[in-house]
Amino acid sequence: MSAIAHARRDRWISVAVFLSLAAVWQLLSVLYPAEAAPGEPMIAGWQVLFTNTFLSLADYWQGGLGVPSVAEGADRSYLAAFLSVLSHSLDTMGRLVIGLSVGGLVGLILGLAVSWARWTRRLFDWPLQFLRTLPLLAMVPLFQLWFGTYFIGEVMFVAYGIGVIVFAGTVNAVRNVPQIYIDNARSLGASRWTLYRTVILPAIFPAMRSTILLSLGAGWGAVLGAEYLGAQSGLGYIIVYAQQFAFLDRMFFIALLFILYTSISYWAISKLSARLLQWAPLSQRA
Amino acid sequence: MNAPNTSRMIELVHVNRSFKRADGQAVQAVEDVSVAIREGEFVCLVGPSGCGKTTVLQMVAGLLPPTSGEIAVAGHEIAGPGRDRGMVFQKDSVFPWKRVIDNVEYGLKCRDVPAAQRREIAQTYLERVGLAHVAKAWPRELSGGMLKRVAIATVFANGSQVLMLDEPFSALDYVTRHQLQSVLLDLWEEGGSTARRTVLFVTHDVDEALALADRILVFHSGRLIDDLAVTATRPRTTDSLLMPEMVAIKHKLLAHLGLEKPTAPLKVARS
Amino acid sequence: MPDALSSRLNAALATLDPLRVAGAVVFIAAWQLLTLLLPPIILPTPLGVAKRLLSDFWSAPSLSYYGVEEANLYANLIYTAENVAIAVVIGSVIGIMAGLLSARFNLVRVVIDPIIMTAGTVPILIAAPFLLIWFGVGRASAVCLVMFYVIVILYIFAQRAATNLDPVYEDSARTFGATPRRMVWDILVPATVPEILGGLRIALAGAWGLEAIAELLGSQSGIGKVLEVLAGATDPQGIMATLLLLGLTAMIVDAGAAFVVARTAKWSAPAR
Repeated sequence: MSAIAHARRDRWISVAVFLSLAAVWQLLSVLYPAEAAPGEPMIAGWQVLFTNTFLSLADYWQGGLGVPSVAEGADRSYLAAFLSVLSHSLDTMGRLVIGLSVGGLVGLILGLAVSWARWTRRLFDWPLQFLRTLPLLAMVPLFQLWFGTYFIGEVMFVAYGIGVIVFAGTVNAVRNVPQIYIDNARSLGASRWTLYRTVILPAIFPAMRSTILLSLGAGWGAVLGAEYLGAQSGLGYIIVYAQQFAFLDRMFFIALLFILYTSISYWAISKLSARLLQWAPLSQRA
Repeated sequence: MNAPNTSRMIELVHVNRSFKRADGQAVQAVEDVSVAIREGEFVCLVGPSGCGKTTVLQMVAGLLPPTSGEIAVAGHEIAGPGRDRGMVFQKDSVFPWKRVIDNVEYGLKCRDVPAAQRREIAQTYLERVGLAHVAKAWPRELSGGMLKRVAIATVFANGSQVLMLDEPFSALDYVTRHQLQSVLLDLWEEGGSTARRTVLFVTHDVDEALALADRILVFHSGRLIDDLAVTATRPRTTDSLLMPEMVAIKHKLLAHLGLEKPTAPLKVARS
Repeated sequence: MPDALSSRLNAALATLDPLRVAGAVVFIAAWQLLTLLLPPIILPTPLGVAKRLLSDFWSAPSLSYYGVEEANLYANLIYTAENVAIAVVIGSVIGIMAGLLSARFNLVRVVIDPIIMTAGTVPILIAAPFLLIWFGVGRASAVCLVMFYVIVILYIFAQRAATNLDPVYEDSARTFGATPRRMVWDILVPATVPEILGGLRIALAGAWGLEAIAELLGSQSGIGKVLEVLAGATDPQGIMATLLLLGLTAMIVDAGAAFVVARTAKWSAPAR
């Protein structure tokens, strides 16, 4: 079989794997009809997930936009459920995006600044290594103490986690820029600043790709962890809140949604960065 | 050892090999090659890149099956790689995670030769290639030339009747290449002309072929197009290469490679 | 001090980079400076944190008021470390075997790869609340969570190590007449050990944080539990001391892992 036929067949098998997993789930939902509460099965079949479970998520809609909240006595409606899922998703994604941007930018600037000279790199080496070893997820309580459990707390936590990763990644990437590029530019008369702008920044991009993808993964994990431990909104909040009532079906729905978001974001960033890296030799595309 | 028909140590009969490319198209790497090689012959396979010489070697080694045709070694049709046919690869095949001496022993270890005996044999061959002093070293500490010596020592230590070498010295510098050619010939000639192993040596270097071979098989586009006997006596020196018969052969080879215009119409060998 | 040990220490000290040491000192000094600007309820002093760590390590009676089983840091650290160890050992065995098999058998690869690749993009934390419901509060849910994480990482590293194995080694071994058993033990395993150990080190580094947050979510013991309790008591000095302990532990274990990697893979450092 040719390589192209192989790839196509593999893709079909992947689809088949997911479909059979879904089928197994459905089978289990029939075999174990136990419910945590009336209308909230432990293992919700697909038909339940997209009707009752989705509907029940309307409970988390805080009201507004002309759609009253269930807490105020209104009935559950698909519109409310949709708005609820949308707003909580946006909360989570908003925290992620802002945290990634702030942390990424600060980390990049600090990394480039520290890479200015060998002595600055050596000076910052030990504190940086230490911060890298401090387990990020364990630091949620500290950030909540400092910044509270509202929006800013989660954002700062994500920004810090990403900042450390990008800082370390940038320093490493600059260190690995082939000396020959730098020598070449210097011999052509580039100033330090021009060197940074026109040689270092593009040259580190292939190595930074893996740092970017790593940050994306860590960012999703960080935002989820922060929301588990005391946020008032967001997908993590819904899951943990539902967990306290053992509403497995709602947890599963949100988990599926989360998997969808992370997979799409990962795929998109992966494709985008590969596109931007078309010039790089294959060996350098991390 | 009395194998049937040792006059034909390696025999290829109408051997073909085709590959399918990534887009599904078929590529004929080797086309209808038939040749018989005698025991103890040093045969060089020569030709431009992509002419199929490496593929022929890999088929004799048993690493690739022919698409059609038969390959027999010592009278038996081959079915996969085996201890009777040792190979020195173009890439470094010395295992980096074993020390040099353990590498040289490896073939013997696979044959369950007792430890003390195989250690002795390995040590002997390491000395013969001049690397006794690095027996305990890691391959990463050795240069490319030294690694090739280890590979050669390994294959000789293993005692294979047939030796195949796939452009083993092409990545080395001029001096190292010539040193290794001497090392190879010394080991090959050890024990006199009756105990010589059969050697198949792939190279694109015409001078190398002339220095080493008893017989040169010329390949082009997957076909065997010429079979030249090299009769100059051994040891071959710079002067041997200047003898008229040798110069004539060189002209023929260069013409086959397209580097020179043929002075006389080229004869293409028929199977 | 015996001569051999003191000379070894001197040699180690000589390789210390004064600039790096200065960097650490500057970091601590900057921290101290910040404490002058911020109230102690936000930022405790470095000395205060260090002292707190030392005292709480052996005995912290206040912890028992909040329902922590063992009222000191070291016992909770051991609990956390035990969970990490179990999860890493079991997870790496499963991950490595699956990864190597997937490199060898295409069918295994196409079935497991989509699952692992999806699991690789999703934070493993998503499974935490589910595990809490299935296993309740206790060791099992935390160990399971970290184990899933380790399996994914080691699967990826083992598969990549086996796939990157240059086919020339396998071909060479076949011409020596190596049996399939020899191919696995003489070729596949030694060749992939360095890369797999590298993955193990990475998995280990991430395991500490994952274990901590799993404990934060639902546990009666462990560093995570201590952090939860101290956060509830609004005790930033205690939190930072505990985090410092966790960080130092992770660092020491990582240094040990690096040492093991260097010893077992000493053939692979590029020298040419």
